[in-house]
Amino acid sequence: MGPLQDRIDLLWLAIYVCVGGVLGARIIQLQVVQRAEYARAAERNRTQIIYQAAPRGRFYDRNGAVLATNEPAFSLIFLPPKGQTAAELAVLAEELAKHLDTDRKSLQEKLQQAVREESAVRLAENLPTGAMFRLSELKTLYPGIDLVVEARRRYPFGRVASHLMGYMGRMDQHSWGQFKAQGYRIDSRIGKMGLERVFEAELRGKDGGIVMEVDAQGRLKGVLERIRWQPGSNVHLTLDAGVQKAADEGLRASLTGRGAAVAVDPRTGALLALSSAPDFDPNDFLSSDPEVVKRTTVDLPEFNRAIAGTYPPGSTFKIIVGAAGLDSGRITTADTVFCPGHTEIGNRVFLCWEAKGHRTMSWFPGLTNSCDVYFYRMGLKTGGPVIEKYAAMFGLGAKTNVALKGEKRGNLFGPKSKGGRPWFDGDTANLSIGQGELLVTPMQMAVVTAAVASRGVLWRPHFTSRIEYAGGRAEYVQKPEQVGSVVMKDSTWRDIHEAMRLVVSSGTGRVALIPGLEVYGKTGTSQNPGKDHAWFISFAAKPGEVPSIALAVLVENGEHGSSSAGPIARSMMLAAFGMPDPSKAALPPAAAPGGALPAPGVAPAFPGRRL
Amino acid sequence: MLSVPARGRMDWTLVLAASALIVVGTIALLSAASHIPGYHGILQRHSLALAIGIGLFLFGFSFHYQIYQDQSRILYALTLAMMVVVLLMGTVRRGHRAWFEFSIISFQPMELARIGVVLALASFLDWRGRRIGELSTVGGALALVGTVMVLILLQPDFASSLTFFPVLIGMLFCAGASFEHLVVLVGYGSIAIAFPLVYVLCQVHFPDAASGTVAKIVMETGRLGWTTAAVLVGVAAVAAGCWWLALMMRLRPRAGYFIVAAAIVVTGLLSGIMVNRQLKGYQRNRFVAFLSPETDIQGASYNVHQSVIAIGSGGLLGKGLFSGTQSRLGFLPERHTDFIFAVIGEEMGFIGTMGVLGLYMLMIWRLIETAKLSRDRYGSLVASGLASMLAFHLMLNVGMCLGVVPVAGVPLPLVSYGGSSLAVTMWALGIATNIHSHRYSFL
Repeated sequence: MGPLQDRIDLLWLAIYVCVGGVLGARIIQLQVVQRAEYARAAERNRTQIIYQAAPRGRFYDRNGAVLATNEPAFSLIFLPPKGQTAAELAVLAEELAKHLDTDRKSLQEKLQQAVREESAVRLAENLPTGAMFRLSELKTLYPGIDLVVEARRRYPFGRVASHLMGYMGRMDQHSWGQFKAQGYRIDSRIGKMGLERVFEAELRGKDGGIVMEVDAQGRLKGVLERIRWQPGSNVHLTLDAGVQKAADEGLRASLTGRGAAVAVDPRTGALLALSSAPDFDPNDFLSSDPEVVKRTTVDLPEFNRAIAGTYPPGSTFKIIVGAAGLDSGRITTADTVFCPGHTEIGNRVFLCWEAKGHRTMSWFPGLTNSCDVYFYRMGLKTGGPVIEKYAAMFGLGAKTNVALKGEKRGNLFGPKSKGGRPWFDGDTANLSIGQGELLVTPMQMAVVTAAVASRGVLWRPHFTSRIEYAGGRAEYVQKPEQVGSVVMKDSTWRDIHEAMRLVVSSGTGRVALIPGLEVYGKTGTSQNPGKDHAWFISFAAKPGEVPSIALAVLVENGEHGSSSAGPIARSMMLAAFGMPDPSKAALPPAAAPGGALPAPGVAPAFPGRRL
Repeated sequence: MLSVPARGRMDWTLVLAASALIVVGTIALLSAASHIPGYHGILQRHSLALAIGIGLFLFGFSFHYQIYQDQSRILYALTLAMMVVVLLMGTVRRGHRAWFEFSIISFQPMELARIGVVLALASFLDWRGRRIGELSTVGGALALVGTVMVLILLQPDFASSLTFFPVLIGMLFCAGASFEHLVVLVGYGSIAIAFPLVYVLCQVHFPDAASGTVAKIVMETGRLGWTTAAVLVGVAAVAAGCWWLALMMRLRPRAGYFIVAAAIVVTGLLSGIMVNRQLKGYQRNRFVAFLSPETDIQGASYNVHQSVIAIGSGGLLGKGLFSGTQSRLGFLPERHTDFIFAVIGEEMGFIGTMGVLGLYMLMIWRLIETAKLSRDRYGSLVASGLASMLAFHLMLNVGMCLGVVPVAGVPLPLVSYGGSSLAVTMWALGIATNIHSHRYSFL
């Protein structure tokens, strides 16, 4: 039986290889190589989770005031127990209807459906704390009723610093694609703007939840475990809630209700306040009323004027013009100009804001009175290129690189920036009073003011002081970041400081005079197609100390720097030094923005540049 | 003719391997069926089948296997009669008219037909032993098995019918059929089986194929109209053309080769078309699921997907008896019958699956040894036929659970729940043990 034996051996070989080998190899692939992957797939099959959003990291200001925190929000869930009768459900529905804003009938339907399909349901979300206490008693009476606590973001100061803080919202298609891999769920909320967005990774905690076992039909089999959430990391900001509040409220109550204010600590570059109006209340995005959320989203003033709004600096720029002239030696403080109210350059007449003229002007009276004719003449003496050089040195035309999205660089104006196109004396004259094509952001002006206050230190503004990581990781401490310096003669600094002090003590900025403080400032009114924008830049120090606050305030179409922007700056400084603000008591808290306030002083007779 | 074999001649390895498989299958059944309504009924029927199976094993072991050779005509006639009667009087379950139902037990005669065909075919091949090289022998064997296959196809049960074909090939091969004939047979079989697959593939991937494209022609051919005739004539023409070309190139071709080649393709296609027309919707869906599993994960390929997850998630040691989530929570379909291997994989892990595979291979190896040691050709053929049958069942069932072959709905003998299969397989093993026990006797 020779050939037969051989063939049987061949048959065995074929079976051994084709059946045993193939199946064995596949078993090894599934159960040894890919076992973890399939174990996860099996877990996904059998588990269902009711998630509990973890508390997000808090935001604190420099004094420990809580700018953003979380509050417990309660959801009522029903995990249907076995063998509950319709009669029992009716009693339960009756009881629940007393405490919830739902009618008995729809509640009963929900409960019955849950029992029928043996699946968990969320009966109510965002329950008020009061209702929660009453409902937690029901929990012991009725099996299956359970309260899930979730952390909901809350901003105790409401609208304060809203542009900086940003808000929380649902993910859109794009961000879902981006966050999916990081363990976010489709219904997770993310930071949509400002710091909430910048620090998303740090602030986010790890959600907890109730893990339930379900069968192939999705019927509830039991609760497997309850996972505790892990809160996110806390972020300590350099902001001063008082200064911020003063800025926000001041802008809101200003002539037009549109504007921006930025305050910086000139010793470190730390932001004390960053305000843009109109603002919004980030709490509205988390309202349990979908109508409120919808309306807030539609009306959201997304434009952050503090970093993205560009305006001509107007007369505030005269500080840089003076610095350029004095430091380069082209002018001296003693140089005088006679101001008759106008001057002729080339064949054009340039007006001073004071139509009747300032008579004889030198450096100190020139800046104190913000005499345009003085600066036309001194500017021409200094020359366009030198002014442009100093403006660039102070950081104009470049981003301050504050870590926020959407910052604008503005526009540096000068013979060099004009790039070969002809530069006329008329351009120099315009530049000398901060007009022409020169554009700056309030943030840039705050940095310039801080550089003046600190005698030349150019900071990259920052708002984080430290991040307190969850889970024992060493905390991150922000260090001041100097990005440049303005090197000028001591005498130049002295002359500028002295002039700015005179502006506040006896000049156009008297509104910002605060007894007991050394306040320096400069008003500005920048020409623009509509009504003029009002500027006020200022820094202040306790007597004998170095300045500790430098700020820039802009009120869009606020007309007069001294009357619109000045009081806001004053309130901010009072808050910074912890002094009582008398204007708060006098003014009604909700002064209508854009109200028909009579323009102070005499209405200007010409559409020129003033102050 | 009762010839009780001498003591010590029992093939204990085979018996132990089979017993171990039955034990593992029973344990898996206890776990898998525990959440199915009628758990107790299932266990009772399983116990009854096991008792009957032990009886049949002892019956098979006790009777001299040559009885089956002597009575082969009657055996084959009974098999055919049974299959015809079930078509006329059987009960329909899951779309197949394949069951005889008695008061509490039901019986699937097809299981018995498997063994009947093996016994009858062995007898036929032994009888034609000297003329094994002739085409008529191969044709006769095909007719013998094909008749039963057609009867099963009429139930209609495509997968079960399919399981007879490898047995035919395996036994012909072991009987010493010429390679040419085997190639012809395998070619014919492959075309007949491949046609429905290709047809479904075209249906899934090119549902709106334009006329003139290959996909459209395939689908037209399946409709048995003019296109079919044209394709068949085309095949003949191509064969004739090739022959003429070879003649021109002075290769001195044998015309027979070309005639046979054309005949294979034509008959294979015709059989395939017939099979295709017999396919039920759900069987077609199983093809779809295998050919393009991404099409519909919740539908036809859901079962295989869940089975693969169950086995993979079992890992090395398994989740423990009665603890398989895939099985316990109902994700795994047909878990006590066709997908019992997935339950073993999930609850007993790599150890369990490799154990079952190893025991199965051990059992097949014992049948192969029996075939080699058998004192006569008939016994040898019976044993190798049984080995081929078990190997093919193992491949189809475990391969399905592992997602490497299409879902065929074939049970895993001795392990899957199913009384007829269990009892009849035990009878077959009894016969094999008897063959083994007579290896030295010349009576």
